[in-house]
Parts: sequence; structure tokens; C-alpha cells
Amino acid sequence: MASASEEVLVGAGSHPALVEPATVDEAARVLVNAAGEGRTVSIERPGGDVVLSTARLDRVLELEAGDLTASVETGIRLSALNRLLAGQRQMLALDPPGDPTVGACLAGNLSGPRRHRYGAPRDLLLGVTVVLADGTVASSGGKVVKNVAGYDLGKLFCGSEGRFGLIARASLRLHPLPAAERTLVVPLGSADDAFRAAQLLHHSTLVPSAIDLLWRKGGGSRLAVLFEGSERAVDAQLGAARELIGGTENGGDEWDEARSRQAAAQGRISFPPGGLVQTLHTLDEALVRPGLGIAFTSEPVGDSGDAGARLLGERVRAALDPGGVLV
Amino acid sequence: MSLPEGLAASAAAVLGDDGVILEPEQLKTYECDGLTGYRVLPALVALPRSTADVQAIVRLCHEHRVPFVARGAGTGLSGGAVPVADGVVISLARMNRVVDVDLESGRVTVEPGVTNLDVSRAVAAAGFYYAPDPSSQQVCTIGGNVAENSGGAHCLKHGFTVTHVTALEVVLPDGELVYLGGKGLDPPGPDLMGLFIGSEGTLGIATRITLRVLRRPEAVRTLLAAFDETSDAGAAVSGVIAAGILAGAMEIMDRLTLEAAEAAVHPGYPDAGAILLVELDGNAVQVEDDAARVEEICRESGAVELRVATTDAERVLFWKGRKAAFAAMGRVSHDYYVQDGVVPRTRLPEVLDRIGQLEAEYGLRVGNVFHAGDGNLHPLVLYDRRNPGEPERAKELAEAILEICMDVGGALTGEHGIGTDKACRMPLMFSETDLETMMRVRRAFDPEGLCNPGKIFPTPRLCGEVPGPYRVHPLELAGLGERF
Repeated sequence: MASASEEVLVGAGSHPALVEPATVDEAARVLVNAAGEGRTVSIERPGGDVVLSTARLDRVLELEAGDLTASVETGIRLSALNRLLAGQRQMLALDPPGDPTVGACLAGNLSGPRRHRYGAPRDLLLGVTVVLADGTVASSGGKVVKNVAGYDLGKLFCGSEGRFGLIARASLRLHPLPAAERTLVVPLGSADDAFRAAQLLHHSTLVPSAIDLLWRKGGGSRLAVLFEGSERAVDAQLGAARELIGGTENGGDEWDEARSRQAAAQGRISFPPGGLVQTLHTLDEALVRPGLGIAFTSEPVGDSGDAGARLLGERVRAALDPGGVLV
Repeated sequence: MSLPEGLAASAAAVLGDDGVILEPEQLKTYECDGLTGYRVLPALVALPRSTADVQAIVRLCHEHRVPFVARGAGTGLSGGAVPVADGVVISLARMNRVVDVDLESGRVTVEPGVTNLDVSRAVAAAGFYYAPDPSSQQVCTIGGNVAENSGGAHCLKHGFTVTHVTALEVVLPDGELVYLGGKGLDPPGPDLMGLFIGSEGTLGIATRITLRVLRRPEAVRTLLAAFDETSDAGAAVSGVIAAGILAGAMEIMDRLTLEAAEAAVHPGYPDAGAILLVELDGNAVQVEDDAARVEEICRESGAVELRVATTDAERVLFWKGRKAAFAAMGRVSHDYYVQDGVVPRTRLPEVLDRIGQLEAEYGLRVGNVFHAGDGNLHPLVLYDRRNPGEPERAKELAEAILEICMDVGGALTGEHGIGTDKACRMPLMFSETDLETMMRVRRAFDPEGLCNPGKIFPTPRLCGEVPGPYRVHPLELAGLGERF
């Protein structure tokens, strides 16, 4: 096995060089060497003089079934981790489109339909080890499910898109695999229909795991609602939901469609869930999570965030990577 | 009490004469928080009424390089709101308006001085509530909850403050205003809001907070199981988790705590070595299924008595003793020290044994009351300050418990925060590099170090030159594991 620094040299002739460190220390050396040579690094995507792949940083470090926690190297793919966890009737409750690595989920803050019940990556992250551009290896958080000691750098790195450093190791909160799941699909005629159905669910005591609106302005829009739990409870919830908002049970094809629409989306917007109708009027086609106030749009959207927050984020980036190595 | 020339007058000009406190007698009210052992008199207390007021006083402090500490209700238990000598305290008590209730979005926007319980009150009529429920929820403020990332008994299922905040308006340490998050979730970019929540007032002052409120569940069922031994109750908790049941709360009280609770508030608990409270909430059928399974697991784990609360009144009685547990210790001991540590929940029985050994070793009693579902211990170390040497021994015992938490891969604090109290203990959990990396982030927010300095991070002035023995961080230790 070639060391990371050798690989940087091996790759130096080609541009960009692809480097696959197998340990956290090797990853640190890759970054230090690149910085020393004045080369930029991008993590798991093109853009840098050096492309750092986490393909070999993919070990499962600790599985604690009784604690419902796992510690992993972040190059592991969701499918691989969840196959392993299924053996103990548990899961990492992230279902974004495709089969990203855990690190990509964290750095991109990626989630799927079940974000509704289980939260975003930041909500499932207990602790991290990060590698900064100067080779600093630092940990924050821990591996227990409750912990307020020190700054939560894990959350800070969620959504940082690889610009703050490499998220190398992560401790994660797991969930039990549900015994049963069923899907209700409701055809919708208009934005007002969609709003009415979403509000009825929101004000009800039903506990769906996912609510996705497959929106098409011209017609053919549908609302898909997922229930998970014990057989009896899922039956009861599906029945109650059908009485509340109508619709028919479906095998669950809608979720594949929802995920592929999300994957094909050109933009993402956040909106107040109460403002669903106004939001839908601006969109021809979108995959919308009405309970969360998130829409994946077929058209690109501009950055609507607060300028002060962007500036602050840039200050944090500059503090962690003053040389601008990570791109 | 030496404030820079003109600062007090400038503050009074902005906030009005009744918005500034300078008299030593009145300043004393602000010299400590809920952990009364740490006391420092500030030079000035500012009482802003608006975001603009907060910006003005922070700008003054920044201009004069005077440290400032934001303060909510002062119920914190880690000395996180202890003033800096000759510094300014910014009390958010007057900023106590509920700004906006948007039920269609499931959002409530408040000023930082609004109490935790008032958020639930604002939406109760519509059938909603605010989930985080620290024991001090009647008086503690949302601003303080944001600073500490407060939890409570029910955060096992529903998460902490950070899970329920969707937007923040923050006055940065130089007086600039930023808006983080929004009413919709997952805005693009790094999760600065997630970093800010739980940063113990060291990165700025939240002046407006948008919270997610939840629909009250269809059903709630609370089970009380009595055991001969605390470790049996611990085994039942492990059984419930292993069965894949997501309980709303799982709490254990041991014999000593039960005695105290009985003497103080008469909850009518069974005479037992320990009791376990399990609360299930959600869909009625799911709750019924889960409750049947929980009862089975408790019996299998050796429960000698099982009670089920089906009415709100019964439920309140079950919780009465638990919620009063800390205060009730006054019935069985002259003084007590509350520790707050976390262990992996599978290690609970072993950790309880080791705490028992410490009791014998130190000749002091420890009451164990804890959020068992998430491994968050609150050992109550009993002592009598009238006996020479006992306070010191109690503190040592409490520290020894923290070291056990570290040994088994746990955390220094689950919900009370590091504050002043545990800053010197941080090297037990984090390396110098870990802490320096956090400090880099802090300096990006607060280059001059004016915003609640002296908290979280160990300093030579506070801790002496020699940090405690560093144990390998749980994640690094996990990093030594084998490939599966």
C-alpha cells in the first residue's frame, strides 16, 4: 500500500491528482503536502489540484447495538452501513437520493423523505473527527446520545461542503428498523388542495415518517404519506389518514419517484410551511416537503440567505483554512 | 468597580436611567447563577428592551473593550452566567414578548426573556406544545435554553433545544446583527445556528428565536416499575432500547432519592430499591403495543410492582417526585452537590456499581436520579458543610464520578453545560488540539474575547498550568477499532 504522500507524488504528473488516503493520518499528510506545494484540494468532487477521495476511509469502527450508536469513517456508503445495521434491526435514518457516503451526507446536509420524522444529518450526528487544511486532527462531541461539552463542530461542518476541512470520522445516532410501513397517496388538483391536506395532517395527531408533495402545476400532483411502526399502529394510522385526506394505499413507488425528482432538481428553497400556497404558485414542478418547508425545484434558484450569515460563515472558513487550500 | 470613563453614562443615555444598574446592593442580585458557589460582582447591569438596545450596549462594550455576559433567568447550574469582574451583565429579562405565533407553519417566535413554559402556553389552546422541558421550565428562559442547548426528561425521543430552533437573530460580539436559519428547515451553508446553540453565550447574544412547536400526541402512557436493585431498573432500560421502542422518557430514581422525594412531596411511590418511569407518547395503537412490551420487559428484568398512569392526574403524581428530586434532597441531607455526566447507556449498571464503591471509599452518600434512556446521570452527592473537610470531599467524589464517565467513553456534561464549573475539566475529554480548534472558531466570532470570557475553555489563570490527565477522545479510541 503506497503512503499518501507517495501517492501525491505519483499523481503529481497528472492534473488533477486523485488521492485515496486509507487512514486519518494519511489524509492529514495529503492536506499538509498539498498546502506546502501551493496546490488546492477538493474533497470527493472535482475542482482542486488534488482530489481527495474517502473511498478507502470506509471502516466501521464501532457498532453499539444496545446504545443505538455507531462510529464510522465517513467514506462508507449509506447502503453498506445500513446493510450492516439491518443485521441488528437498526438503521441510520438517512434516505437521500443515490447512495452517497456518510461524509457526503454530512458535508452536503443531504436528506430524503424521512427527514420529516428522523431529522437531518446534523440531528443524527453525535461527534466528529475533522482534519483541517493544515493537518490539524481535532475531535468534537462524543459517541453518547446526549452531550453539551464544548462547541459542536460536527454541526458547524454540516453543510460546509468540504470547505472547512475533511470530516473523517463520525459517531451517529441510529434508529430501530420499523416493523411495518405503508404509504398513502392522495391526488391533488391545486395548490389550495395541497395546502389543505398538509394542514390537516399538521394539525392531526397522526405521526407520519414522511410527507412528500410531487408537485406539477399543470395537473397530476400527488401527496405521498409514509407511516411506520407496529403492524397494528400502521394500519390504524393509514385508516385515519385516509378518512382525513382521502387517497389510496400504494406500494411505495412514489418514494422512488420523489427521490429521483430530488436528485434531478436544480435548486432548493426553504419556505415557511404556512406559506405553501404562495411557494407553489412560483413553481412549475417541484418535489416539496410541506411539513419541513423545503422544496427541490426544477429550475435553479438564487441564494436567498442572509448576507451577514454568509460573511460570518466565510470568517469561520478563513479561521479554519486561512490558506484557502480547500476548494 | 472601574468602568471605562463614559461607558455608564453612554449606557444610560441609550437604555434610560432605569435600564442601567450601578448600585452595589442591586448588582449583588446578578453576582451568581443557579450554581451559587461562584460569585463575581459586575460593574454594570444593562436591561435592554429591544434588539437595538442590545446592539447599542454590545457596541459600547466592544468600543471600550469591556467583557460582557448575557443573562436569562439565572437558573443555570454550571456558572455559565457568572459575571466578569468589572464587566457588564446584559440581562434579557425585559425582552419577554412572544412576537409571533404561526400555527400553520408550526412556529413560534419569541424574545430571549420568554420562559420555556410560556411557549407551550402560547399554543396550548390549539393543541400544540414546545418539547424541550428542563426541570426549571417554569422560570428558565428560551435565551438561556439556546445558550445551554437545554434538554429535559423528554429529550430522549424529541431532541434538545437545537432540534427545535429553526431561526435565530443574533447580535455578534461587535454589535453586528445576523440572521441564521428561517421558518423553513435546512437552508444551504454551514450550520452556524447549530454551532451557536449550546455555545454557552460565548459567540453572541440571541435576541429573537423561532421555535418549532409539536402537536400534542394522541396518547400518553406513563408506567412506573419498582425494582429491588437500581441495576435491575438499568437492565430494563437496556431491554426497552434493544426492543426498538422509542420511549418519550425513561427515568430512574434510587432508594435514597425515593426516600427524599417521599418526605418532600408525598408522591406515594412504592417502597423499593429503585423505580423506573417510562413514558410513551404518540399514536394510540402504537403506545398500546409498546406499553404491553415495556411491561413484559420490566417483569423479565425483575420488577416487583408495576403501575400505569392513564389519567393526567395520575401522570402528574408519577412525575411529581421525579421533578422535585433535587430540591427534595434537602430533606435527607444538609447540603448536596449535583453532578451531570453522561455514559453509554449499556454501561449504566457498571457505572452505578462504581459510584457505589466511591460512596464507601469517601464515606459519603450519593443519590442517583437520572435520565436513564440517554445515559445522562445526575448523581447527588450528599454532605454537611458544618463538618470540616466534607464539602471538599464531596467535590472530589463528584469529580471522581466524572472520571468514570470519561473512562467508559461518555461526556463531561449532558445538559448543564461546562460554564465556569467544568472549564478546568475539559482536558479530560478534549486534547489541546481539539480545544485550540474550537478556539479558532470562537475567534472568528469574537476576536477580542469579550463575549462571556472564562467559560468553557480552560485557562492557566483559572486552572493552573497543569491540565488534568487527558484520556483519548471516544472517537479516537473508536478509531483504533478493527475493520468489520
